[in-house]
Amino acid sequence: MSNPVLTVSDLRAFYQTSAFGIQREVRAVDGVSFHVAANEIYGLAGESSCGKTTLIRTIAGAARPPLKVVGGAITFDFKGRRVSVTDADPKMLAAIRWKHLSCVMQGSMNVLNPVRRIRHSFIDFASRHVGEPMPVFLEMVRVHLRRLDLEARVLDVFPHQLSGGMRQRVAIALATVCRPDFIIADEPTTALDVIVQNSVLAMIREVQRELGSSLIFVTHDLAVHANLSDRLGIMYAGRLVEEGPTADIFRKPRHPYTINLISSLPRIGSDNRNKGLEGAPPNLANPPSGCRFHPRCPLAMDICRRENPPMTEHGPGHRVACFAAVPEKVQ
Amino acid sequence: MFTIFRDLFRSRGAFAAGALLLAVVVLVAAASLVSPYPPNDSFVVPPDLAPSWPHILGTTSRGQDVFWQLTFAIRNTLLFGFIVAMVSRAIALVVGLVSGYAGGLTDRVLMSINDTFIVIPLFPILVLFYFVMRDSMSWTLLALAMACLGWAYDARLIRSVAMSLRTREFTDTSVFSGMSTRQILAQEHMPYVLPIVFSTTLNNMNWSIGLEVTLSVLGFTNIDTPTIGVMIYWANQHTAMVAGIWWWIFFPVLLVVITFVGLFLLAVSMNEYIDPRSRLSRAAT
Repeated sequence: MSNPVLTVSDLRAFYQTSAFGIQREVRAVDGVSFHVAANEIYGLAGESSCGKTTLIRTIAGAARPPLKVVGGAITFDFKGRRVSVTDADPKMLAAIRWKHLSCVMQGSMNVLNPVRRIRHSFIDFASRHVGEPMPVFLEMVRVHLRRLDLEARVLDVFPHQLSGGMRQRVAIALATVCRPDFIIADEPTTALDVIVQNSVLAMIREVQRELGSSLIFVTHDLAVHANLSDRLGIMYAGRLVEEGPTADIFRKPRHPYTINLISSLPRIGSDNRNKGLEGAPPNLANPPSGCRFHPRCPLAMDICRRENPPMTEHGPGHRVACFAAVPEKVQ
Repeated sequence: MFTIFRDLFRSRGAFAAGALLLAVVVLVAAASLVSPYPPNDSFVVPPDLAPSWPHILGTTSRGQDVFWQLTFAIRNTLLFGFIVAMVSRAIALVVGLVSGYAGGLTDRVLMSINDTFIVIPLFPILVLFYFVMRDSMSWTLLALAMACLGWAYDARLIRSVAMSLRTREFTDTSVFSGMSTRQILAQEHMPYVLPIVFSTTLNNMNWSIGLEVTLSVLGFTNIDTPTIGVMIYWANQHTAMVAGIWWWIFFPVLLVVITFVGLFLLAVSMNEYIDPRSRLSRAAT
């Protein structure tokens, strides 16, 4: 296997504010490590405020105060060109953005300036990274739009003249027009109804396959993950608690949080009432000691309150951070 | 752009009325280009004639034709308002957009300057300005001075919009795509605030014309450049009202009132069009 495109090791990114003499620190991402291989869709799941968006903002090099990277490393490897996001200067980041690394942000329908025609958004955001003369660039855009089932006509309209699904596709076109090696997608389909969602997801997958890029896909919607992701990482309270091939995680979740998460999904033919987990996610400004899940965990032991469980291999490519989960015996 | 004006013309009486009044004023100003008399020459016609042909608005005690004098006066007054509005808009745009987008220390410094300009009393400052400059006082200098005093309210308004724009997704995307701050402000944020700026431009013109007339009537400007205020100043100097030369004062006042009403009607109808909520309620009725 070739080198992973993205390697994140022990990343810690905190929101640090000091206002009116009071220091606050929200540990939104605390010790996350994973990698994303070439041509892979890596799903990131977890409930709201578990640090998903913070994590990918940091990966995109878009951490702005009060968000600060406190420790760890993020390294991209674009076909031999290695870039460390955490050490790179702004110029270097600007050079890889859009061309190698692009982003479909949360609420991506709003990435389009409401008072500018779509054509200008493309020119403003993407043309500088292509380095072709304007007519060539616009032809490129038209070809790319056709790939996403959009007519070239959309270039001449304002965003409010398009439907939600079309705007979403334009946003995806905008992010992928430079054929990036790595795409970060933060809840790109959350605002859409399921039918449009489905076609947009199919489109994302198609574009990803065609460009051969890697994709980090963030959503709290596990059904979407089941359809799209090759591998899945589950986050809880700023930490990665379980990671593995998507099918594996759905079939046999190991971490108690994942188990509860998966069992909360409605299943066809099941009459069982789904039981919810007691409690609420912890306050990240003052997280519980040891394993952050222990106050809600049905399997909590003494050690969970004192120590943070390390990620351990529980199967091929399947890592779990839990003391209670027992590695599967090799049969 | 053309369709917007057409729609406004059809749907809003106020807009049509304002546009017509302003058209009259602009036509009068344009007539100065074909004036038979130079604006600063006196005693070129018999003095103190009542309105009659060929001096349709009468003549002054200084031997000038009121109508032709008026064409120069309104041209200078309109230009004055326009220049003040443009220069102060430029300052307001730069300060407002930068302050709202940059935030932090930049914002605080710019806004304390801004608030200083909001609270200082304009009229005494301008009178003082005249007494300091005295002989070197000119029309352009006064326009620049007023532009430097008239931008503060609008800078605050623009800043409030810019602050909200800063947190929108498209700003994040612009930053992410590597656009410079200057490009973001000029290409992404400015189109958003331009309609607001357009509406305040008209009000600003009204404000500056009014202030200029006030200063001129009192003689606190360069009285060699004919403006509406300067005309009234000369009429007062020659005690036109007492002498019964009413047309020397009446027509300048009438023309400047027409200008005010025209600009005001335009500003109001534009405002209603620009504000999406009132546009919607208008569409419903």
